[in-house]
Amino acid sequence: MEIKTMENIDDLIKKIQPYFSELSVGDFMSSPVVTVQENQTILQAKELMRSWRISGLPVVDERGKLKGIISIEDIIHALESGTLGLLVSEKMSRNVVYLFKYDKIMDAFKKFELYGYGRFPVIDEIDHRVIGIVTKQDLMLALLKKLSILYVHDSRREEFVGVDIYRSIPKNLKIERTEFEFQIDYKDLSLSGTGASELKKFLIARNFSPKFVKRIAIATYEAETNVVIHSNSTGRIKAYIEPEFVEVRVNDNGKGIENIETAMRDGYSTAPDYVREYGFGAGMGLSNMKKCADRMIILSSKGNGVFVEMHFWRHEDEN
Amino acid sequence: MKIDVLSELGFEMIVKGEGEIFHGYACDLLSEVMGNAKPDTVWFTVQSHVNIIAVAVITGIRAIVLCNGHDYGEETIEKAKKEGIALFKTRLNTFEAVKKICNVAQNEIQG
Repeated sequence: MEIKTMENIDDLIKKIQPYFSELSVGDFMSSPVVTVQENQTILQAKELMRSWRISGLPVVDERGKLKGIISIEDIIHALESGTLGLLVSEKMSRNVVYLFKYDKIMDAFKKFELYGYGRFPVIDEIDHRVIGIVTKQDLMLALLKKLSILYVHDSRREEFVGVDIYRSIPKNLKIERTEFEFQIDYKDLSLSGTGASELKKFLIARNFSPKFVKRIAIATYEAETNVVIHSNSTGRIKAYIEPEFVEVRVNDNGKGIENIETAMRDGYSTAPDYVREYGFGAGMGLSNMKKCADRMIILSSKGNGVFVEMHFWRHEDEN
Repeated sequence: MKIDVLSELGFEMIVKGEGEIFHGYACDLLSEVMGNAKPDTVWFTVQSHVNIIAVAVITGIRAIVLCNGHDYGEETIEKAKKEGIALFKTRLNTFEAVKKICNVAQNEIQG
């Protein structure tokens, strides 16, 4: 399972890497980094790995300069041969593949692909001191952050959320047939909810059960209202009927969400007072959406608008 | 309970509606109403702007009772007619208005 997951990530990274070409290793490496000195014992290296829960350590000299790398395999080997008391320098791999801070994310990706190692130390160009480390996880997190995948919710497959979300991304780049489309008029607060009402009628006309449709309409209403209240920009609702589920996408070109964790909190709202007087801005919008949608992805970054994708599967009592 | 009964209780009918109501909900925050109101509900609120009709359409609210003597805008009334949402108003505050329904139909109307 673990391995399968990693393969998926590799595929995905390949697909999306052109969008991240400007990212440098220094932007996403883990730093400071846990290292072991070449004159420490393998036993000490083992303890370091155990307490930090890591499976490899860069080996450095007294000035912090990279000398080698010691991995869990080396430790196992030392355990088997009863040589835990030897110095790290006697067991470490000396042909270390490393990265520089200014290497691009593509370089890092290529090294992962070429060598199959789990981690690469990052060293200073001039004095070769170890200044960071990049694992596959760091790489993935960097991509996530760049995409600004702010919030992901999947009631059906919580445990796979970290990987599964990618499936939606490349799809967005394709041209698809839109089943339902509505332009959101952000200038008129009183029109908010029109799109959701229209979508409700559209789905009822296609014989979806009222209960199922209501769930979709509520979530869409909240997303639509968010566009009207917060984005100060044009927006669009699109809905697609898939054999197994209904997909709704709501996007705008506004100022974006800065901090999604805060935004997700019940009762948190940045709505202006005049909007609140109308009963909006109670800070329940996102949590209503989360409650209604079986799966929800929000992509946003400051200044780049908000993209919401929600999937709705018919529940047993909704046929 | 038939929607018509709301008139009999002294609520002033602004837009006529048909059918039955089985639930009641009282709140002025649209998201709360959106997330919690059941279908076939009579909704007590002080919000009168046109969005309440969208909320009603989406949640399945059939009738709205506007409390505290507020008035509906023309746009709201037009939209309600178009969408088939019954509109009433009253000078009573929300609590008193809800009480009125409870007095006659406590067992027919649930939260």
